[in-house]
Amino acid sequence: MIRRARPGKPCIEGDRPPPGSPYAWRHRLFSRRRFLTAAAGGSIALLFGLPEPVAADDYDPWPTLAKVIDHLLPSESDSPGATDINALGYLRFVVDDSHTSSDDREFILQGNRWLDQLADERLGRPFIALGFEEKERLLQQIAASAAGENWISTLLSYLLEALLTAPAYGGNTNQAGWRWLQVVPGFPLPGPGTRYTELPL
Amino acid sequence: MNRDFDVCVIGSGAGGGPVAHSLAEAGFSVLVLEKGPWLKEPHFTKDELACCRRKVYSPELRDEQHVIEEQDDTTGWRATPTAASGWDFWNGNCVGGSSNFMSGYFHRLKPVDFRLKSAFGPIEGANVTDWPIEYADLEPYYDRVEHLVGVSGKTEQHENAEPRSSADYPFPPVVEHPISGDIDRAAKQLGFHALRVPRAILSTPAMQRRSCEYSGFCGSFGCSSGAKGSSRAALLDHAVATGRCEVRPHAKVFRIGTDNQGRISSVDYYIGDGRAQRVDAQVYVVACQAIETSRLLLASVGPKFPHGLANNHAQVGRNLLFSGGGAGSGDLVFSGQKEERIAALRQVGPFVNRALDDWYTFADPKLGRLKGGIIEFLWDHPNAVVRAENAKWRNGQLVWGKPFKRQLETWFRTDRTLNFEVFSDWLPNDDCFVALDDKVNDRWGSPVARVRIGAHPHDQRVGRVLAEKGEQLLRQLGAQRISSSVGPSPPPNLQAGGCRFGNQAETSVLDADCRAHEVENLFVSDGSFMPTGGSVPYTFTIYANSFRVADRIIAQLGGRRTSTA
Repeated sequence: MIRRARPGKPCIEGDRPPPGSPYAWRHRLFSRRRFLTAAAGGSIALLFGLPEPVAADDYDPWPTLAKVIDHLLPSESDSPGATDINALGYLRFVVDDSHTSSDDREFILQGNRWLDQLADERLGRPFIALGFEEKERLLQQIAASAAGENWISTLLSYLLEALLTAPAYGGNTNQAGWRWLQVVPGFPLPGPGTRYTELPL
Repeated sequence: MNRDFDVCVIGSGAGGGPVAHSLAEAGFSVLVLEKGPWLKEPHFTKDELACCRRKVYSPELRDEQHVIEEQDDTTGWRATPTAASGWDFWNGNCVGGSSNFMSGYFHRLKPVDFRLKSAFGPIEGANVTDWPIEYADLEPYYDRVEHLVGVSGKTEQHENAEPRSSADYPFPPVVEHPISGDIDRAAKQLGFHALRVPRAILSTPAMQRRSCEYSGFCGSFGCSSGAKGSSRAALLDHAVATGRCEVRPHAKVFRIGTDNQGRISSVDYYIGDGRAQRVDAQVYVVACQAIETSRLLLASVGPKFPHGLANNHAQVGRNLLFSGGGAGSGDLVFSGQKEERIAALRQVGPFVNRALDDWYTFADPKLGRLKGGIIEFLWDHPNAVVRAENAKWRNGQLVWGKPFKRQLETWFRTDRTLNFEVFSDWLPNDDCFVALDDKVNDRWGSPVARVRIGAHPHDQRVGRVLAEKGEQLLRQLGAQRISSSVGPSPPPNLQAGGCRFGNQAETSVLDADCRAHEVENLFVSDGSFMPTGGSVPYTFTIYANSFRVADRIIAQLGGRRTSTA
């Protein structure tokens, strides 16, 4: 029956997930974020220590996001990275999708501005101008904060989607993720007209 | 009196489908109202996002949710809306309901399940009672389901086999995985008996449906071939083809209206754009899955029913059931195995199809003879994203970069995880019930169901015994990292009870025919009727009972109007 278990329990982080709790990821990430956002006065910008309201300026989060996900899932000669699976294109699909809440969208994008501010404060350059070790140290620093950990964890979840879901959603180019991890996909796969965004719901 | 339809069925899942099918075949006009959309085979792709990562087959919790009351050591019962907890109690809101997403383990109840109180005596703190019908009353309907919905399997002689009127299943077993033979051998070595699991999956094309195509993505995914015996594919499509059954998707029923005589006069529902509509019929059948069925009755107050429809004895919503038990797993490690063995273990598509029911009843040294349950074996969830999710953690810290990739490689390429699930009785008790919440409404402004989910401690004792047997079998198979978990949390996809049937109106909502004691033209045909749930997944029994209820409705309406079924 694929018995569904209670989310977030009894799984110990770092262990494999308990059988039958496919939504656990969502629960853990989102409830933690809700808690943090509430503690920050209900604002995602304040959660990241950004001025609020963030003025409509010309800050573009996407170049930073591209470098962050390349760092989180690097390309190697024998295994794909974020670039190889078009993870950035996949994230564009996620933030444009009406199934993604406005909070999620804001959270994914605002985190980059925060990271760039920290990079500028501590190293005098934006994140994209940092070397590998500097990027790694900065990400380790933000992962030590609850908000930063939640942001990176969210990106890793979406990277796993980009790696292991049907290519029709923009990621997993040439099924590179499935081939690397020896995953046998189901059939039929979603394609134009049968993606969940196109179903007559 | 002129009515819009002979029968109005609210809900299109396993409880609604058999009634709609039987009544339409018998010549009656039937309307089926379904809250969700009408998705069909071409829509059900093997989509890892639609299944398990986005709310596609069930509502966003901010729009429609439940409030769950859990026991709290300090304050008694703590209520949490599911939009806050993320704990989703929806199981498939579309035509065919959650039967679209079942795995289709079709075990019958056993005769002992119908007389739990007589067989084992009362249990302190549990409202155990015998059913008002016996196994023999339901047997012909199990047989009907096997033929009409399509059950594949092979009968075997064993101690706990149920009596059958047909010698064998109408369809041969679906193709099985190499691990199935390994489980048989391991069980034999341990003195257990591995049972071949009957499945509501066509192994050959039949009834204008294709056979299984063995994608390996079955449980929790919709079926793209039509082989899975969902209420939609197996029953409603045929009911509609008679020309006498209409299915209205996007029709959310919010109230059942009653007249001054206490009979149902109409049903009110919202359509897609939010406008309210009204329809009437001779007979009304509620089958919204246990929690929502109780919620709808409680919300439907009328001149004779100030506390909700059929609720003048305060029984609606009480004795809600889930499934006791739990789950376990072990890893079959590739290292040191021959190439052929690794290739065999990695096969995707064929079914495991093995269960143990040696402890359906068993003797406990301290507690005496007890009701037990079954242990079902299955591969790890087919959705790779679900399996990968936790690979970003190590010792409580996030990992990324190359360490993250190495962890993914280890998790995906070095073993395969075999799971088991324990199904045992969820004892009915006074702390497991459905009420209406007084604060949280759904997106149409109706109060949501408030569900108290108290479990009886006896269930965990039984679950633990069974889980140890499951672990024992995994050890015999040579699995590593074996673990299991048995706890008081209910699996939201295994619901029954809330409107139990019985012979007394003071202690039950429905009579033995699943007609409301208090309302002559109201039947309930989903799992709500069950006073005790048995120790197998509910869908097969819901189907069988719904066919039985359909026969009673046909009789109440004066008998068949067509000559052949």
